[in-house]
Amino acid sequence: MRTWSRRVAVFTSVLAAGAVLAACGAGGRPDEGKDSTEDVVGVTEDTIKIGAHFPLTGVAAPGYSEIPSGHKAYYDYVNANGGVHGRKIEFVVRDDAYNPTQTSQVTNELVLKDRIFAMVGGLGTPTHSAVVDFLNGEKVPDLFVSSGSLQWGDDVESKPQTFGWQPDYETEGKIIGKWVSENMPNARVGLFLQDDDFGEDGEKGVRRYLGDQIVATERYTSGNTDVAPQVAALQAANVDIVLGFNTPSYTALTQLTANKLNFDPKWFYSNVGSDPELVGSLLARFSEGAVKDGSSLLDGVVTTEYIPGVDTPDDPWVKLWQEVWDKHGSGGKLTNYRVYGMSQAYTFVQALQSAGPNPTREGIVEAIEQAGKEFDGPALAPFRYSEDSHMGISGLRVSELSGGKANPLTPVLTTDIGDAPIVKDHSGAASDAPPEDGIPTG
Amino acid sequence: MQQFLTTALTGLTQGMIYAAFALALVLIWRSTRIVNFAQAPMAMITVYIALVIIDAGYSYWLGFAAALLSGLLLGAVVERVAIRPVEDKPHINAVILTLGLFIVIHALAAVIFGSNYRSFPAPFGLSGFRVGDVNVALTGFSVFTILAVLAVMLLLVLLFRFTNVGLMMRASAFNQEVARLLGVRVTRMLTQGWALAAMVGSLSGLLIAGGNLVHPSYMDSVVVFGFVAAVLGGLDSPIGAVVGGLILGVSLSFVSGYIGSEVIALAALVILMVVLLLRPGGLFSHAPARRV
Repeated sequence: MRTWSRRVAVFTSVLAAGAVLAACGAGGRPDEGKDSTEDVVGVTEDTIKIGAHFPLTGVAAPGYSEIPSGHKAYYDYVNANGGVHGRKIEFVVRDDAYNPTQTSQVTNELVLKDRIFAMVGGLGTPTHSAVVDFLNGEKVPDLFVSSGSLQWGDDVESKPQTFGWQPDYETEGKIIGKWVSENMPNARVGLFLQDDDFGEDGEKGVRRYLGDQIVATERYTSGNTDVAPQVAALQAANVDIVLGFNTPSYTALTQLTANKLNFDPKWFYSNVGSDPELVGSLLARFSEGAVKDGSSLLDGVVTTEYIPGVDTPDDPWVKLWQEVWDKHGSGGKLTNYRVYGMSQAYTFVQALQSAGPNPTREGIVEAIEQAGKEFDGPALAPFRYSEDSHMGISGLRVSELSGGKANPLTPVLTTDIGDAPIVKDHSGAASDAPPEDGIPTG
Repeated sequence: MQQFLTTALTGLTQGMIYAAFALALVLIWRSTRIVNFAQAPMAMITVYIALVIIDAGYSYWLGFAAALLSGLLLGAVVERVAIRPVEDKPHINAVILTLGLFIVIHALAAVIFGSNYRSFPAPFGLSGFRVGDVNVALTGFSVFTILAVLAVMLLLVLLFRFTNVGLMMRASAFNQEVARLLGVRVTRMLTQGWALAAMVGSLSGLLIAGGNLVHPSYMDSVVVFGFVAAVLGGLDSPIGAVVGGLILGVSLSFVSGYIGSEVIALAALVILMVVLLLRPGGLFSHAPARRV
């Protein structure tokens, strides 16, 4: 026992010394980017290196791990067609398993070791929150965070490098709330919320329009899969419609639990939790032979959309994504998560084009602030980018699922956070078609 | 009223699941005197074996049987290969080893089966029964869960109390040297204990999985709550494990439904503390405290 503990002590002190040395090494490395004005971190004559953290393993991996494969496929497509201003895009993905501690670690690696030019599409609210200050401190452009939290865009002063991309949850909540108040004015409304920014921001938006109609608010903790007590409380409050701000697995779990409790309200899931393919494939098993096609189990469920998805294969954007995926995809079929990744990648290429032939970190941030509102792309509504706001897509439309397809119930509606009114979008963003070669010009 | 009933009944089912897992912990504790943290991933991997068989088009029950059998085998193999070398060392070594196994098996499952959520079928209906206007939140599968756990509990009580094998297993766990002197083949008993415990673990895995979603870490929360349930019951008694599981399941369900799901873990800790303050050995402990 004695020698054992001594050995451990020696071992740990060696380890500790090694760690200290390694830390010194990292801090002492000269910052080449600052020494010379011509040399921009991550940019060479013919390449540009960007990176992101995504959950490739762990509980959040289903679905989300497909997003970087969409990014990769689109960059490969762009590279095969000559790149951006003659530079090929290198995309480095690191796995954080949706664990903020690991996000910090892999972001350190991306910035200090891989020396990326920009972070593009880093996923998750709790995860990205852990690194957003570091990225801003290091002045790394932190573009198009894959999360709808308000914090990526509403405070440009404290996070000048960070940009949101998808519609924020408050905007989505407002549009959902208004739709319910107009279409089901006498309904008793229940909320089913994830217990973090996601549920909180969504609730803030919904409450603007449904203050009196909401009779029950239930929160679940991600990871706790027994939602029966929450669903029972919604049932007890006798609600007619449940608004869910939850992830896809919880859509499946609430449907299963409601079945157990013979609870049959109208369900409205926000965009995050409503992917009919993923949820349908989870539920198909439990239909006991009555329904063959799993995705039709979600018939009648209401949700929102802000980019065209795989249920509309004739949409010009989806055609482009299909072509890109067939040529450069990493196997498997095109899914909505891959479409999401490609749509984000498209916006990045557009931003890079706008930054000109000699992109710098300051330059690309400025380019998005100046030109971002005008970016054409798959998004149904325009971006809100400006010097005062880094919020992403400004709106979405309400749709009803039927046979795995989303049928629009409203035109594209746009708004902003706070008390900005909800208006029909007149920008024509929804009818944008991709350019001939599928590559934006900026 | 309806909410009260629903919360109680879903808590009951959940409690039975904790109980099933606690039974496996009790079994291994009684037969080897260590706590096996790798119980959950061992069960998880056998559930995946069942899923592969069911996905290939065979019946649910074939998958069910295969999972139990592979649990039995896996338990024996783990004991022989991993635990045997540290069996004569302090107990803590074996416990730490099971923690290591926890991580290894987890990673292995993610590599082999992927980390996606997958749905696991159930052999019985998943809709609640209705009696008049009242919805009884029990499904065919929850009734099966309750009956299966009670049956396992009964079998374990019988095994330990009324059979020679049970007596020998307890003896070899309690004092190997004396047991050996009395003619018990201790190593064989230990292997048997591990095998049986792993099989009960697989059963709990199957009961949790039925009509639900599985992924490599789907049993992780059950480890914590099952462990609390087992300690509540005294770690020694099968009946205690089931009672502990029920207390925990029903109270956590009420806490989640009437206070909020964010305080579940806290509530479990409070219950554990109160019980251990009042009865340090757990609710159903007979023997005076022993050192681990």
